[in-house]
Amino acid sequence: MSPLASSILLFAASVVGAIGVAMALPRRGVSPQLLGVLVAALGLGGIFIALGVRSPGALPNINFYLFSVIALGSALRVISHPRPVYAALYFILTILASSGLYVLLSAEFMAFALVIVYAGAILITYLFVLMLATETPTADQVEALSDYDRYSREPLAATITGFVLVAALTTMIGAGTAKMKPVAGGESQALLAQLPRKVEKALVESKAIDPSRGDRLARNHVTGAYFIRMSGNRVVGVDIEYGQGQRLTLTPESDKWPKSLGIENVEGVGFSLLANHPGGIEVAGVVLLMAMLGAVVLARKKVEMDEQAKLAAQSRALVDERSMSALRATPRVAGSHAEHSNGNGTVHRIAEGVGR
Amino acid sequence: MLDTLTLAQASAPAPMQTGTLHHYLVVSALLFVIGLIGFVSRRNLIIMFLCTELMFQAAGIALIAFSRFWLNHTGETFVIFVLTIAAAEAALALALVVLLFRRKESLDGAKWSEMRG
Repeated sequence: MSPLASSILLFAASVVGAIGVAMALPRRGVSPQLLGVLVAALGLGGIFIALGVRSPGALPNINFYLFSVIALGSALRVISHPRPVYAALYFILTILASSGLYVLLSAEFMAFALVIVYAGAILITYLFVLMLATETPTADQVEALSDYDRYSREPLAATITGFVLVAALTTMIGAGTAKMKPVAGGESQALLAQLPRKVEKALVESKAIDPSRGDRLARNHVTGAYFIRMSGNRVVGVDIEYGQGQRLTLTPESDKWPKSLGIENVEGVGFSLLANHPGGIEVAGVVLLMAMLGAVVLARKKVEMDEQAKLAAQSRALVDERSMSALRATPRVAGSHAEHSNGNGTVHRIAEGVGR
Repeated sequence: MLDTLTLAQASAPAPMQTGTLHHYLVVSALLFVIGLIGFVSRRNLIIMFLCTELMFQAAGIALIAFSRFWLNHTGETFVIFVLTIAAAEAALALALVVLLFRRKESLDGAKWSEMRG
């Protein structure tokens, strides 16, 4: 299929996705959330088909589809769920799925850091604040699901704007990636020249050298540099010293060459972070310290309650008082009846909340 | 198809196809836009901040995908800094949200649309 047809398919699928997202957002009147999620999933499927048609030779791993569907689906639930706590939990699901995507991109360190830092620390802070800052329900309510959680603001306009941005972004991404050429090699082995101990250990494991006989990686006795020979980004040979200072050059063609000699993700990230960006770490430390101090100072500050909020709190307390005294004043038999109807109302409200 | 899973141990990682990169970038764009729609349309202050975190996530996926495509680790390093900033932002923003809640007993963003003290 021509690129034009596949981009038309992409735009059509984006429009279907937009309709789905708009339907899934909570609003006044009818809000067919489940149907909206299904339509959005259909649109996502269309987008993936359009992408696959455009580049049939470069389909990603099957796990990519799994993780991205989970990530995008739970992201949709984050923005459409009326209960903030559930939205935060769905956000954790998004984090877990995108850490799966990181693993597929062979960024294991970042995947685990993401789970620990985001799902483990940041989201717990969010959950604490959500529980700290909820409106207290009055005595005749089981829970307060406030108006601002139940109805979103201008869902249609927001979705249209968002998906115009999607159309622009996908067009730009398609045009940009078409010009790029796949890169081979990279810095995968470039760092080995700075890791002689790792090279030596790999050589011992592949039985190329035997430390018990005094074999070792050869080094220049004046400068202390190891003889790890590089050509561009690839290691093309190492010098081994054995016996009475005799030398031998081992090349990748040799059958004793360790096959798995390469830089692992953590080593690469470590070098990049500490050798290339040490200033960034210092700045990050200062930023975190300032944020901590700022949060402490802000949270300790005494604030006056707003006049309107005071009035609202007073009227809430009045409602509480009234319903409590009504409960106390009613005789036993009538009281059980009242409780029954109250219980009915409770069940009804819970069912309504779950349905959304 | 499973070659991307064994890359970490391979001495020379396989080059990533541009089509594969395209897939990851489109997912990142979709996640970003979902976060944006949420930020504009939700009215709860905390959910609005959660949506900014969604957008951070989208940027992270794009950075890591490019880092894999160019086979260097600068993108991953940048994501570490993004995580740091996200943590700092969450701490400060949530402290501010608690202050705002104490003042108006409500998390409605629209209640703060008039900027009177």
